[in-house]
Amino acid sequence: MSTTSTTRTISVEINGTSYERNVPASLLLVHFLRDDLDLTGTHVGCDTGSCGACTVQLGGEAIKSCCMLAVQADGASITTVEGLASDEGELTPLQQSFHEHHALQCGYCTPGMLMSATALLEKNPRPSEHEVKVALQGNICRCTGYWNIIEAVVAVGEGETR
Amino acid sequence: MTAIETEAGTLQKGSAVGQSVPRKEDGRLVQGQGVFFDDVKRKDMGYLHFVRSPYAHATIESIDVSAALEMQGVYGTLTGDEVAILTDPFFQIAAPPGGHVKDYALAVGKVRYLGEPVVAVVAETRELARTAAEYVTVEYESLDVLVDARAALAEGAPVLHEECGGNLSYSGVWEWGDVDAVFAEADHVVSIGELHFDRFNSTPLECGGALVEYNRGTGQWTMYTNNQFPGFAAIMMGPAMRVGLDKLRIVTQDIGGGFGNKITSHPQLVVCCLLARKLKRAIQWTEWRTDFHQSMSHGNERWFENTEVAVKADGTLLGFRTKAIDDAGAYLRYEPLGGVIWSQVAAGMYKWRNIRLEFTQAMTNKAPVSPNRGYSRMQQLWFTERVIDIVAQTLDFDPVEIRRLNFVQPEDMPYETPNGCVYDSGDYPRAMDMALELIGASGIETRRAEAASRGKLLGLGIGSTLDSGTNNFGQSQLINPELQFSGNNEVATVKLDIFGEVVVTLGTTPQGQGHETTAAQVVADILHCDVDIVNVRAGHDSYWNSHAGFSGTYASQFAVTGLSAVKGAADMLAGQMVKLASMVFQCPEEAIELADGFARIKDNHEAALPFMALGAIPNANNAGFPDDPPTMNCRYVYRPPFDVPDKERKFGNLTLTYATQIHACVVEIDPETGVTEVVDYAAVDDCGVRINPQIVEGQVMGATAHAIGAALWESFVYDEDGNLLTPNFYDYHVPHALDMPPLKTGAFESPSPFTPLGTKGMGEGGGGGIHCICSGIQDALRAAGGAIVTDSHNPYHRVWEMLSHPERSREKIEVTSR
Amino acid sequence: MLLREVEYARPATIEEAIALLSEHDGARALAGGQTLVNVMKARAASPDVLVDLADLTELRTISFSADQSALEIGAMVTNTMVISSSEVEVARPILAEVAATIADVQIRNRGTVGGNVCVNDPTNHYPPLLAALGATFTIRSTSGERTVSAEEFFVGVYVTAVSEGELLTKISVPTRKPGTGDAMAGITLGAHGTYVASAVATVSSEGVRVALGCVSSVPVRATAMEDRLAGGDLSEAAVRAAAEGLAASLDPPSDVHANAEYRGHLAEVSAIRAVLQAAERAKG
Repeated sequence: MSTTSTTRTISVEINGTSYERNVPASLLLVHFLRDDLDLTGTHVGCDTGSCGACTVQLGGEAIKSCCMLAVQADGASITTVEGLASDEGELTPLQQSFHEHHALQCGYCTPGMLMSATALLEKNPRPSEHEVKVALQGNICRCTGYWNIIEAVVAVGEGETR
Repeated sequence: MTAIETEAGTLQKGSAVGQSVPRKEDGRLVQGQGVFFDDVKRKDMGYLHFVRSPYAHATIESIDVSAALEMQGVYGTLTGDEVAILTDPFFQIAAPPGGHVKDYALAVGKVRYLGEPVVAVVAETRELARTAAEYVTVEYESLDVLVDARAALAEGAPVLHEECGGNLSYSGVWEWGDVDAVFAEADHVVSIGELHFDRFNSTPLECGGALVEYNRGTGQWTMYTNNQFPGFAAIMMGPAMRVGLDKLRIVTQDIGGGFGNKITSHPQLVVCCLLARKLKRAIQWTEWRTDFHQSMSHGNERWFENTEVAVKADGTLLGFRTKAIDDAGAYLRYEPLGGVIWSQVAAGMYKWRNIRLEFTQAMTNKAPVSPNRGYSRMQQLWFTERVIDIVAQTLDFDPVEIRRLNFVQPEDMPYETPNGCVYDSGDYPRAMDMALELIGASGIETRRAEAASRGKLLGLGIGSTLDSGTNNFGQSQLINPELQFSGNNEVATVKLDIFGEVVVTLGTTPQGQGHETTAAQVVADILHCDVDIVNVRAGHDSYWNSHAGFSGTYASQFAVTGLSAVKGAADMLAGQMVKLASMVFQCPEEAIELADGFARIKDNHEAALPFMALGAIPNANNAGFPDDPPTMNCRYVYRPPFDVPDKERKFGNLTLTYATQIHACVVEIDPETGVTEVVDYAAVDDCGVRINPQIVEGQVMGATAHAIGAALWESFVYDEDGNLLTPNFYDYHVPHALDMPPLKTGAFESPSPFTPLGTKGMGEGGGGGIHCICSGIQDALRAAGGAIVTDSHNPYHRVWEMLSHPERSREKIEVTSR
Repeated sequence: MLLREVEYARPATIEEAIALLSEHDGARALAGGQTLVNVMKARAASPDVLVDLADLTELRTISFSADQSALEIGAMVTNTMVISSSEVEVARPILAEVAATIADVQIRNRGTVGGNVCVNDPTNHYPPLLAALGATFTIRSTSGERTVSAEEFFVGVYVTAVSEGELLTKISVPTRKPGTGDAMAGITLGAHGTYVASAVATVSSEGVRVALGCVSSVPVRATAMEDRLAGGDLSEAAVRAAAEGLAASLDPPSDVHANAEYRGHLAEVSAIRAVLQAAERAKG
């Protein structure tokens, strides 16, 4: 018979590193990442699960970490933006493509965009412009108007990034 | 009289300026290593949550924080009573009566808009601060609510600030030329009963916030925040907190979008400062999306009533008169500067010389307004664009040709407007033609027929706009003659470090505009070195005196003020490098040149000093010189050439540069539902010399996206009780990826004759997309009743109304012809 | 935003889940959390106990009923699973087509069909869709299991037939017979946005069914329109004639996006478009 508790010890793998922490059930996954683990690349941009700045990959799928409790992530494998580039700082083709296509201005939506696009490219290595838009529909940007972001992702699929 | 000195840009394009150099900022941002204020942590910091007013207008009868303070982990609270003791009200820009507003960091005695901060609670965790805030008891006595600025000055309207005796913040009559005469001689007078520019803002993805520490030894506060105009914030905070400005250190690094909406956070920063001192710990405040929508930085909502336009038979616009009523919201934080800033573009892009505008601004029980991308000029330009489209439709002129006829022409540049502003350069007809070609205007009738075959109405819209940049703060004296602000400035430092590294600091607070990159490009060309070795420090830090009174990033000016400061400092450094080399080689300075990362003798390239030597000598190896070697550490203050405007005539140059943007769009309307879609789009930009064309294009794109959102979906709507009905992204829909039309951009360069680099500020854009979508909707509706678009915001229900009752929109439009 | 303190449990079996839901007043089932977590962030509701259904793998299946007449979708099936399900594609593809328009990829990856229907927000996609398709809903409690119709399931705004201590376990959707066409039409706030008005139609040899979302606390069947179309004439003229008076018969809510009159009009137009598209699909 399972019991209820206001806290739970969770085991999570994030960017290849395993963590075990005791967390309150009320703690959002995004705050667990940002405040408890100092992974501040994942951002908070709204309070209704609308903007996608908090997007991470969980089991390879793009999810909004502000719409999930840390305790729900027990046993999960998560990738955040910090897990994209290599330890030596070598950018992924997607990150490089964002840089070349001016797909970021203030950079606040960028980690979420990168995670949604990474999840897409892992399933669909050569997405069309429409498929990219669908994949990024849950990520709000107020600086770029999306055009350069979409171009950057399509370019990765077409192998145009050096 | 304004003296116009025409001066060619002095910068020769070297190898970096003019190139789309990929940004230095990107490396950290794509790796999630940016430092936004919420990323900054301090041990044992206290998280702050505001108790906010649930009423739009009420007196505060009592506040009881005792239950919150009893909770384990709650560190303390702050109320308006304490604030009223510890601080003085914020300085007011307005003259009396508006200037009598008492604005404190927390509500004192009364609340005046829903969401107004009343009490601050600080606790060990974010969640606990929120929970503790629920245990604060505030008793209110509600008052009548005022949500319409047009009713604000009527007899019996609820008064927000008793000290002002009414809700007026500013009123003034702005008149130039001979308005009565042109109306007498006009062939047609077109009257437009009402035009309305709606209330929205740019909703930067990162909301407001700060991490504030207090140094008990020195009495200095350090604020890690995202305020985008630290010069203004400090000027507001210092006197209120009764401290010198050196006690207020503002540090920014990465800011998640600003668009003007992060200029007026000084009240919340004061709260954080007071609590950091009171509770002896760092204070962390993060604003949530709903808080931001309810209480921060709405754009100016403005009505234009009883507009009359004098028109000649051939379509020449002779002049207009109108009454502008502007809604400032509950407090005057940057207002009433909106009451003069519109006049930078009083005439829009047209040549009419006779203008009368009565401007009245009132306070209402809504969120306080603050600058929003296109601040106050966008409203005026929208007005002139509506006017020309309405005149065109009612008098049966072609919207393109009537613009061509009335545009200020390229040969008129620099052009002095009726109120003494000087449009520095530009070619509006060329920009318009380019936009029309990019959108395929010549084939529009074919497209229209094809859309009709699918049951859709199609329209072509044009929106022309200006982005006036680099303010003359002397215009503030036109709304309050007692103010002591004028001109503008910005600071940069460029130095060679001890190992010859080039290090640049900026006074600006970029929120994505790529300052580190464009500054490096300018420096690289002046020092003749590679862009990659120019290291520009990220962000602003007022501790290091690399700022001036007007430092910040706002009002479309970095390419002029920031980069001219950079140029000035880099020129100084280049001169010093040449001088030092001449001292070392014991030859005249004329014999030295900077090239390929060296200072060398022109005729003997072997005699060359690398930057490392030039940096090391004055810093670490300076003995033996008969004269002091130059320090290689240069600070430059750029001051644009302005006079104080003539207060009597409200006349003078108010901004240094005017970038042009002309937008064209194709819209499709579903006549059965009013659902409107932008299906094609073109934007042409002329911002003078472009330091980095890709960055410029990015700004044009962002401004376009903001405008599309404002035109179709984004509005801060209030009910009659002052409740905001669009308080978050559920109901305040902003464009997402699938909402964007295809986009074609074009650009050319009309250098500014007034700026050291020939550049013009261009980041705001001027709302061209709003103007062209209104124009496109009106064009589409010609085939379905011919409604006139009189509102800047046209969501589906408004388009449906225009389809269902087109005659209603035309009721208030009259033509009187000779 | 930020949640109040809450108790949490993650049962391993459906029985445990139901026991927890029955035992604790103020216990709520946590499915994908795309609605509930946001409700809790806003503190619009703060359950005392969250019963996380994540480990209940038997609720995450899509299969056919024994007689192949219905598709059985476990309550914890996510929208992404619906979209990629070959069973759905074969048996009732409208489910995948609609699922693909819900919000965005991130929400679809976590959001469940069961969660969407149990919330019964009038603007949600599944309630009118399942009402039109004639789906049934299986609810389990400590005293056993019962299956109810869509009409019985959707009770009011945010209220369904699932009472305290009960759990929706599966939704059964009739498989599509040959000659059936399904379609959903409506007006959204931006692409893939929230519905302002929505309508779902199915056209089959048994006639036409039309269900409207957004206009009431529960999906509304446009019965007068259905009756007028019983004769089989599904030409545009006939469908428009059948829809006459539909808007006037409704009492839709007013909000910032549409007043009652406009919303009613949009509902009527959506109904017409859904029927016409379903009729077209029924042919092919």
